Amino acid sequence: MKRTKHNFRAAVLLCCSAAVLSAGQTTNAAAQAQSPSPGTKPATEAKQAQGNVRAERMAKFLAIGEAPDPAAVQRGKQLFTATCGFCHGATATGGEGGPNLVRSILVLHDNNGSNIGPVVHGGRPGKGMPAFPSITDAQISDIAAYLKSRIQAAANRGAYEIQNIVTGNAEAGKTYFDGAGKCSTCHSTTGDLAGVAKKYEPDVLQSLILYPIAPGKSEEDLPEKARETATVTEPNGQKVSGFLMHLDDFNVAVQDSSGTYHSWERQGNGDDGLKVDVRNPLQAHVDLVKTINDTDLHNVLAYLETLK
Amino acid sequence: MRFRVLLSTLALCCVPAGLFGELVSNDMLLHPPPNSWPTYNGDYSGRRFSPLKEIDAANVKGLGLAWTHQVNPGSGPSSGIKATPLLADGVLYFTEPDNAWAVDARSGRELWHYKWESQGGIHIGNRGVGIYHDWLFFETPDNHLISLEAKTGKFRWSVVIADLAQEYFSTPAPIVIRNHVIVGVGGDSLDVPGYLESRDPETGAVQWHWNTEPRPGEPGSETWPGADAMEHGGGMTWNPGTYDPDLNLIYWGTGNPNPVHAGASRKGDDLWTCSIVALNPDTGKLAWYYQVSPHDTHDFDATQTPILFDAVYKGKKRKLLAQASRNGFFFLLDRTNGEHLLTTSYIDQTWASGTNKKGQPLEIPSKEPQTSGALASPASGGATNWFSPSYDPGTGLFYVNTTQSYSIYYLTDTSPRPEGYAGRDSGVWAQCALKAIDPETGKVRWSHPYTPLHSDGAGILSTAGKLLFTGDPYHHFVAFDPGTGRILWHVGLNGNVSNGPITYELDGHQYVLVASGDVLYSFKLLR
Repeated sequence: MKRTKHNFRAAVLLCCSAAVLSAGQTTNAAAQAQSPSPGTKPATEAKQAQGNVRAERMAKFLAIGEAPDPAAVQRGKQLFTATCGFCHGATATGGEGGPNLVRSILVLHDNNGSNIGPVVHGGRPGKGMPAFPSITDAQISDIAAYLKSRIQAAANRGAYEIQNIVTGNAEAGKTYFDGAGKCSTCHSTTGDLAGVAKKYEPDVLQSLILYPIAPGKSEEDLPEKARETATVTEPNGQKVSGFLMHLDDFNVAVQDSSGTYHSWERQGNGDDGLKVDVRNPLQAHVDLVKTINDTDLHNVLAYLETLK
Repeated sequence: MRFRVLLSTLALCCVPAGLFGELVSNDMLLHPPPNSWPTYNGDYSGRRFSPLKEIDAANVKGLGLAWTHQVNPGSGPSSGIKATPLLADGVLYFTEPDNAWAVDARSGRELWHYKWESQGGIHIGNRGVGIYHDWLFFETPDNHLISLEAKTGKFRWSVVIADLAQEYFSTPAPIVIRNHVIVGVGGDSLDVPGYLESRDPETGAVQWHWNTEPRPGEPGSETWPGADAMEHGGGMTWNPGTYDPDLNLIYWGTGNPNPVHAGASRKGDDLWTCSIVALNPDTGKLAWYYQVSPHDTHDFDATQTPILFDAVYKGKKRKLLAQASRNGFFFLLDRTNGEHLLTTSYIDQTWASGTNKKGQPLEIPSKEPQTSGALASPASGGATNWFSPSYDPGTGLFYVNTTQSYSIYYLTDTSPRPEGYAGRDSGVWAQCALKAIDPETGKVRWSHPYTPLHSDGAGILSTAGKLLFTGDPYHHFVAFDPGTGRILWHVGLNGNVSNGPITYELDGHQYVLVASGDVLYSFKLLR
């Protein structure tokens, strides 16, 4: 079985107020993170594409409906900002006396202006909202499209953009990299990490600093020296070593240097006479995840971001 | 249009004596007979402990497949069977989103299938049905409570229990208490308030409605900055609760406050989100509450089953309530009045510095989601989640499938009026483990860890046969010794266990039933 990060990541993303998908289903989950395409596209373009895929998948999972026509949204936004923004806020989240329309039940139940139109045309005299009789039905439709886009933007957490996260001190990051963090024990900024900031967006890189399997990638995608290996010693003393392909209470499998796959049945509890010695070259990262503080993490990110 | 797959005449003939009696009576719910599993957790206590012991530690090696049954939910992606099947009169009743089935518990033969035509909503899973007399009740992603005739699957009525346009969606199994059908709701994409309702089993009408948030001026409102924050404060009731008939109190866990990851517009403790609440099932009146995550910003719903049991604590027999909460802490309370007895952490959490005098975790401010990212354990999926824990009165231990996870929490919406999730987290590493917690000390008595980076979401069943059944993250269904954690039996399934296993006795023999994906697997001793 491939040990990908799909399962865990998708599960984390989907842990809303309902449930994690069970691991068996997550490979088809709506919200799988997309693997980055290192070096194939300019980073911002790749980020855009990756973000769109994530947003579309999440929109489908959340069943928030079709996105409104972008041209109508744009027209509606201009009209809204000019006409409604003073009271309701430029982003419709409330302003000088006007309520938040993104959370408005009337707006949430609107269908292409069906609810919004009468309020705009007639006003709400009791609540201080003037009437706007000259706004056309087509303009109401555009405003409705804009408000729908605002609601979808609030609801679709797959579309949220991470802000500038490169806030650390690169110099301090270098000191940590070469010193307390022991990163330089295995990594070189002129070797394996040369140009790493060109390959990954900062948020992906920040995750990879902690544990170096990119979203959507599996352990088998790691360079050979980073992959887990195991030596299995049979009761008769015979040993087989290779990449660890699987390990649970009831099975262990390795692939030897010739590419041959070997597997053994286990009885659970480790009392079956098989001895399994595992070596994980990424153990330092497991330790790092559990011990690093946010300041050091942000500093190392700032340092690696200089490697363009 | 709604349709249902009709019973064949042959299938009708297989439905036994229940044709002439009440399928599930109040007495059955109070004292479930061994040939039944009449409510979500098997009984009202939430222990998921069965007194059956035909299958025991000595003979469990002889456990083998009795039958399997694959359901076909029709078009669209399947969530798999996350429901705990109910058993009454030899028939199993269970759901997937928009779907309900009746299956012969002896053979796996399908008796009927009901399909609801959905208007939308999140199809992440459904926890199952509730049964009152001869009627089934289940909730749908588009927030309908549907009632069917149990014997035929015939539609009786549906009522709307929440507003789809506000992004509510409904997954819980209704809990039937006397003539109350208790329904919870879910949904935190937009900032909407949570609630719990009791519905009339005859008509679906509202009997009472309890709001997760207080109203302005009411006790608890001082924990919010104002009416607007309360009206949009979240706190969903999406996992079935438990019930103590002697105290006549139901116990429910409530979900995270909204906006989910941004606390700026809801400064304060945000009662009664992320809380365990005790309500009167006849009135919906709050008897007491205990908040396990004041002012949560990590999506740590406290909806995990509050398990009820009586045990000696510090030399005195007490009526207890225990929850292994999503935030990584184990809580022990006196369920008569909510008195806090004990808090311990059952994973290595890093978001709280300790606990206050009331035993509530103290959040480290810098571990709230930050624009540049805050690394914390556990991830938003939590140290555990919806899958059922178990309490075994024989060992006196509380069992829970846990995840030691680390994640970077990002705040993405820094405006004074944040919306929806307002942030997100990015998981970096995780390791699951089955753990046994001693409720008297809160300490982990034994732990069975799994290989990192695999996720597990299986429920747990314990039995008087000194067995604990659950799934591992590698498609196995496993029996453990609940005293020691030693593995006694296992079988490979088609995928990971996707629900909580149940057990029952039919014709003098004990069955163990579990689901993986769209398949039910039934096991018994093979002779």
